[in-house]
Parts: sequence; structure tokens; C-alpha cells
Amino acid sequence: MEVYVILKLVWAVLLGVLLSGLAVMVGMDMGVGTLLRFVGKTDAERRVALNIIGPHWDGNQVWFILGGGAIFAAFPTLYATSFSVFYVVMILLLFSMIMRPVAFEYRSKVETGKWRATWDWAFLISGALPMIVYGAAFGNVMQGVGYHYDWTGQYYQDESFIFYLLNPFALLCGVMSLALSIQQGGTMLMLRGEEPIFSRARAAAIWGGIIGVALFIVGGFWVAHLKGFAMTAPVNPGAPATPLTGQSVAPVVGAWMHNYAAYPLLWALPLLGVVGMLGAVLMNAARKPVIAWWLGAIGWVGAIFTTGASMFPFLMPSTTNPSQSLTVWNASGSAYNLGWMLLFALVFTPIIICYTSWCFYVMRGKVKMDYVTHDDHGY
Amino acid sequence: MGKTFTFIGLFLVLCLALLLAVVAGDYGPWYFAWMVGTVMIVLIAACGAIMLDNQRQNGNGEV
Amino acid sequence: MPLIDPSVVDLSRLQFALTALYHFLFVPLTLGMTFLLAAMETVYVITGRQIYKEMTQFWGKLFAINFAIGVATGLTMEFEFGTNWSMYSHFVGDVFGTPLAIEGLMAFFMESTFIGLMFFGWDRLSRPGHLAVTWLTALGSNLSALWILIANGFMQSPKGASFNPDTMRLEFNSFLNLVFSEDAQAKFVHTSIAGFVTGALFVMGISAFYILRKQHREFAARSFRMAALFGVISSLAVVTLGDALGRLDYLVQPTKIAAVEGLWQDSDANGPAGAAAWLLFALPDQQAQANHFEIGVPYVLDPLIAHSFNTSIPGLITLEKQVGPRIQSGIQALDALKAYGQTHDPQALASFKAHESDMGYGFLAQRYAPNQDLGQITPANQDAVLAQAEKDTLPNVFVTFWSFRLMMALGFFFVGLFSFAAYYSLKNQLERHPFLLKLCVWSIPLPILACEFGWITAEAGRQPWSVFGWLPTFQAASSHNLGYMIFSLIGFAVLYSAFIAAELYLMFKYARLGPQPHLTGAPESSPSPMFAPAE
Repeated sequence: MEVYVILKLVWAVLLGVLLSGLAVMVGMDMGVGTLLRFVGKTDAERRVALNIIGPHWDGNQVWFILGGGAIFAAFPTLYATSFSVFYVVMILLLFSMIMRPVAFEYRSKVETGKWRATWDWAFLISGALPMIVYGAAFGNVMQGVGYHYDWTGQYYQDESFIFYLLNPFALLCGVMSLALSIQQGGTMLMLRGEEPIFSRARAAAIWGGIIGVALFIVGGFWVAHLKGFAMTAPVNPGAPATPLTGQSVAPVVGAWMHNYAAYPLLWALPLLGVVGMLGAVLMNAARKPVIAWWLGAIGWVGAIFTTGASMFPFLMPSTTNPSQSLTVWNASGSAYNLGWMLLFALVFTPIIICYTSWCFYVMRGKVKMDYVTHDDHGY
Repeated sequence: MGKTFTFIGLFLVLCLALLLAVVAGDYGPWYFAWMVGTVMIVLIAACGAIMLDNQRQNGNGEV
Repeated sequence: MPLIDPSVVDLSRLQFALTALYHFLFVPLTLGMTFLLAAMETVYVITGRQIYKEMTQFWGKLFAINFAIGVATGLTMEFEFGTNWSMYSHFVGDVFGTPLAIEGLMAFFMESTFIGLMFFGWDRLSRPGHLAVTWLTALGSNLSALWILIANGFMQSPKGASFNPDTMRLEFNSFLNLVFSEDAQAKFVHTSIAGFVTGALFVMGISAFYILRKQHREFAARSFRMAALFGVISSLAVVTLGDALGRLDYLVQPTKIAAVEGLWQDSDANGPAGAAAWLLFALPDQQAQANHFEIGVPYVLDPLIAHSFNTSIPGLITLEKQVGPRIQSGIQALDALKAYGQTHDPQALASFKAHESDMGYGFLAQRYAPNQDLGQITPANQDAVLAQAEKDTLPNVFVTFWSFRLMMALGFFFVGLFSFAAYYSLKNQLERHPFLLKLCVWSIPLPILACEFGWITAEAGRQPWSVFGWLPTFQAASSHNLGYMIFSLIGFAVLYSAFIAAELYLMFKYARLGPQPHLTGAPESSPSPMFAPAE
């Protein structure tokens, strides 16, 4: 195989890794945000919940920023097109995302009930909405999006945004993503929280996991009857990356199951997802949040790679001009760019993992109630 | 033994600093200036504070 | 191919400019405050004096209030390239996206992870350990700025990429050229140090407020001293770097520098080049291509811009005339490129290659071509198209001229202010000069203003280009409908206004409150200094 094809494949896998990292780490914080009003009945309890992720939310959020940056660099055309066709949804996501850092920093700095209650609502919105949008984006992409390009590469949108908001399959994916984030967030609250937060978080995490796994299985059967996309002529994976020429694609019902039929080994991915999510439910029920956290993370990875494997090589198919669909082959950066980025990723990812783990290690242990009342560094 | 490691460690830091200075000095003179300059600015600010502590010890209580 | 609705382009530009300027209200303070905090904590670790720990913690708290919005609004910036500048992202993503991704990997992760430890790790880390964390946070936030400005440097002076006609975009071809681009270098240092000035004046101003009110005397005297020394060197450096950046722009973007100086005629148009006047005041008139009410200082312009006494600096009128042939050649480049895209004909490719470097100028003509189709430009209508397109190559002179002048005036004001402040602080005579202290308090917002003017000079001066010489701004936008833009603009306006109100409220609240003794009750025992004096 050519070096360029290998680079494209490596970055397709790394895209999956980034989206999983984002889902696990940011999803966890979002879950805590969503649950804040429910696990904490008093102000002190809510502050405990916030301080559990307090030292980490900022670092976790970088997964989101890194995800955006990596898509921009490794799949520039995908970044350019997907963010623009989903404009209204993306802007909503953005509004809720930017509320969160401010909510963290400002909520506990003023001691009036109204001020804090307002920010608590901000946490709920900025926790739940982005996760729904995140899942719904997967759901929409799987069904294809209406866009085409002119000869310069400028995209044109061919359908209304309403479709993306009110679309049953996308909503299913959105709710599933929200449920999994509640599972992960609840587990984190169990990990570093004490009673009564522990029990409330446990109930939420268990229910989140059950709903997540149920929707994952339902979604799997739904996908088999969904209109997927398939290449009608062989493509050259090593060709210069452009969606403008060199591809012919047609919509085919059930096409998203073709890869599984061709490579039965891929069934391991959905299996991994189900095992991870169910395992996390059982471990949470058994009050073992550490194992549950890792199983929940595996569940996310399974779910995201299941989607990727069924669509491969498609990234975002076009319904109105299928031959201009974006794939791993035609939306990627140049070989030189992918090579440099890979080098940086190989050098810095281990370093990041080291200091992130160190940070979690330094801040280990339960967050106690008197911490929030007696320490003025916390949130 | 511990001293040997300290020396080896400092030696490695020295090598790294020299390498950085040569590379940055050649290709990115402004980057090099920033590195040296920032450390200098921070140290001068720190010296100012320590000087104030000394002025206090010498009996100057004015602000 | 129809162009995007001009009002959508204008609203996209408006949205980007407003969100970028808003983001930039908070960034400079982050860049400077982190290193000031590192300086304070360094003194704490070396001397072991508790007051420096209190300083680090108090200023750290104010810093955190600011930092949160900086992070939040930075997200907007990263999204907006995709949501509003789709063609731009497609066209340069291969080279422009890379520094952004590296920024995440190398800098932002570091900054964000360690900032958590910086605020939460006081009781969990050893003193040198916590100091290292603070330094790493400072380094991380400035490295962030480095990669962002490398990306911006590429827009100003595209280095390290070449156009690939097969993929219709600029592709990355030299990492070293991108990273060590002179524009990126000077821009990073200028911006980072401007942040140092902002941070220094913020700390100095609030300390001056305490000194004036005779509150927290020792605390304020030390903070003031450190900030004044930090600021006096930084403000000198920022002026030096500004000069370097101006000279670079003269070399790579002559239109920007001519607009900055309000230079319509060549500098040797009325007498020797060396004698040309540097304008202190003028009202540039884009229509008449001349200035009203000029007041200038002779013999300053040439040495300032070209660092020489006999170089003629080209004026805007000359630059506009020179561009005609390039537009003509660019039209041929685009015609050939379109043909090549459809047929992959090697002859079309050869014809494109011959005119490749002018391709961007061809886009400029598209606006004025019949039916916005370059193919319909004929020898008969070509001159009319060129005449209109040429005018578009000049930036808005009034905006560029004045934003530059205000930035520069403020820069020199800071040098003066910090010099006096540092001098009287070193002599411990601040309380004898209440006017100076009041001036410090009132000057707190000025560096932020200067940073904003600098940003406007750089970005407005680059127009009409989004990537200089390659992609015009109007071509770079996403083809949204008007409703989308109105929706997002209203949303940003509401959200951002609420944020700034909350930020200012908290900032004033905590600054008025001043440093507070710890709630934990018993004062911590003062640890011994790291380098104890010999007994």
C-alpha cells in the first residue's frame, strides 16, 4: 500500500480515537452538569459535585478543542462542510459549550440563591444540549446530508436545517449519547463523592446505562433498514484528496451493514459497546465505580467505532449529489500534512496521557463537604 | 551517587539549552529573543520584590 | 457560479470581527498574568515569605475570573472557521488547520490541565512542584498564542504551502517555513509581550488603588513593584517589536503599510524620499484618494518604515495601478484552472502554471465580471472590470490609519507610565505622587484597548484578502442565508453581553474586596526559605 493511503487510514482511526476521547472525557463532565440539579439538593452538595470535576473539566474540554483542530487539519474539507451545513445546530452547540466554563468559574463566586440557581440551569443546558447535538450529528451523518460543491470547492446547502433537528433516527442517537454521558458523569460522581450524592448518582448512572444500551441495540436494527451509501465503481484511495471528481456513489438501503457482511470480525465492535455499557450498569449496581468508569469508556469506544466501521470509508455522504460524498479518501489533508501531524501526535499524546494521569493522581480521593465550605480555591 | 545524577541531569539541561539556542538563534531569532527576554523580565520583577524586602529590613517603611 | 450574497459576507465578517475582538479582550491578560503569577510564586519559593503566596493566590483569583471567558470565547473562534468560512477552511485547511491542531496537542492541553492543579493543588503539591505547575501554565498559555499566531502569520504572509490544482487548495509543503516565517515570529513576540504589558498594568493599577486607599499596604507595594518592573521592560519590548513588524509588513504587504501611514502618493513624489513626512493627524478619504487636514513631521517616515533615508515607499495610488496586470493574469489562471478541473487537459495545466502566482487576483475580478462569470470577460469589457477590481485591492485607509495611530500612541504612553511608576516604586515614593497612582488606576483598560487596535490594524490592513494574495475575503465565506446569520449574531450579542456584565461585576467585587486572610483559621506556619541565608 502507498504511504498516503496508510496515512489516511491512520488518521481515520485517530479521528475515531479523538471522538471517543471527547465523548468519554467531555461527556463525563457534561453528565455531571446535567445531573447537578438532581444529585445536589442543597447548595453545598452541588458545590461538592462541581468540585469533583473542578480540577479536570478544563483539561477534559481540550479533547473537544483538539477534536475540532484535528478534523480541521486532517480532514479539512469535512471540517469546512460539516460545520457549515449544520450551522444552526453547531451554533446552538457552541452557545451551550461557552456557557460552561463561565458557569464553573462564576457560579460560586456570589452568594445569592438567584445567581447560583441561574448558573445551575446553565449547567443543565450546557450539559444536556451538547450531548444531544453530538449524538444527533452522528445520526444525521449516517443518513446523509444535502450538499454539493461547485468547481472551486465552495459548498452549497440543499436542504433546511429543520430536518436536522426533527429527525427520529438522529434524536435516538442524541438521547443515547445523553444517556451514556449521564452514565459516565454519574460514575465519576460516585468515584469521588460521598453520601447522599453517591446513591443519587448511582441511580442516575444505572438508568443512563440501561437506556444507552437499549437505544444502541434498537439503533443497530434501525440502521439495517436505513438508506446507506455504497460506491458503484472502484475508487483510488491514494488519489489526491478532492470530492469534486473521481467517485461514483449511490444510496442503497442497508448499505451500512455491507462492511459487517464482508468482514464478520467487525461484529466485535458492537459487541464491545454492548458489553461495556452493560458491564458498567452491573458494576455501578455493585458499587464499583472505578471498574464501571472504564467499562463505560469502553462502551463509548465500541459505539463510536461501530458507527465508523459501518460507514467506512464514508465520513459524510451527500444525499443530493452522492458522488461528491466525503470519504476518508477524498476529504483528507495532503500526505505531507498528515505525516507531520502524525509525528506531533506520536510525540505529544504520551506526554498528555502522562500529565493528565498525574493530575488525576494528585487530586485523587473523595471530595468532602467541609472542603467546599472551608477552602476558597474551589468552585 | 545522588550528586552524580544531579550533575548528569544538569548537563543534559545544559545540552538542551545549547541546542535550543543554536537552532532557535539560527532559524527563529525572535523566538529566541522571546525565551531569553521573558525569563529576564520575570527575574527582574522577582528581584524588585526581593529588593523591597531588603529596603524594609533596612528600615524604610514608605510605600 | 454566483458569488455569495454580499450582505451575508458582511455579516459573517462582522460576526467574526466582533467575536475575535471580544475574545481578545481576555487573552492578553491571560498571557501576561500567568508569567506575573509565576514571578510572584518564584519569589515565594525562594524567600519562603507568606505574603508572596497570598499575592499569587489573590491575583490568581482575579486571573481565573478572566481566564474562564477567554477559554469559552476561544471555542467560538475555532468553530467559526468551519461554520462561517467554509471555503476558507477548505482552501487552506491543509496548512492552516495544522498549527491549530498542534496548539491543542502541545499547548492548550498543558495550559488547561495545569491550571486545574494551579488552583486546586496548593495543599497537595510540594512548593517547587506547585511552582513548576504555575510556570507550565504560563508557558502553555503563551505556546497557545504561538501556534495561533503562526496560523495568523500564514494568512498575512503565506509561507510553507503551494497550490495543488488537483485538489483546488493550498497544500502544506514546508513545516520549517511555516513555523519560522518572519511574520509569525514577530507577530507572536509582539502579541505575547503586549499581553505582558496588559497583565502588568492590571496588577499595577489595582495595587495603586489599594495604595491610594491605604489598604493592604505591604501587599500592594510588592505587587506594584513587581508589576512596574515587569511592565517597564515589556512596554519597551512591545514598541521595538512593533517596529520590526511594521518593517516586515512593508516588505510583504505594501498596501497595508501604505494604508497605515495614509500614504497615497509615493514617498518621493514631493521631493526626496528621506524628507517625506510621518503623519500625526490626517483624515484619509478613500474616494478622493487623498488626505484632508494633514499634520506631519518631516524626515521621519522613511527611517521609520524602510530603516533608510533614500528608499521611495510606494503609495496607494501606485500600488493600485500596479495590480492591473496581475488581475488580468489571474483571470487567465482561473479560466485555465476551471478547464483543467473539467478535462484534466495538460495544456490547461501548463497555462494555469504560467499564471499561478496571480490566481488570487483573478478571484477579485469575479465580482465585476458579467453575471459574475470570468468566462464572459472579453477584451471589450475587460478594462471596466479591471478598473473596479483594482480599487478593491486597497484596504480601508481611514480605519487602518487611525487604529494604528491610537495603538502606537498608547504604546508610547505605557513606556512613560511604567518608567515613572518603576522609578518611584524603587525609591519607595509612590504615596507622594497620588496623581501617578490615579493615572495607573485609570489606565487599567488602556492596554486592552491598544491590543484591540493592533488587531484591527493587522486584520483590516490585510483586506481585501483573507489569505494575502490567494483568497479574497468575500470568496472565503460560507454560502449561508441571511436568516442564519441574524440568528447567530443575536445569540452572540445576548450571550456575550451577559458574560461581560457578569465578569465586570465579579472583577470589581473581588478587586474591591482585596486580599482576604484565609478562612481556614489558623495562619499557616511560615515555611523556611528554599535558600536559607547562612546563619
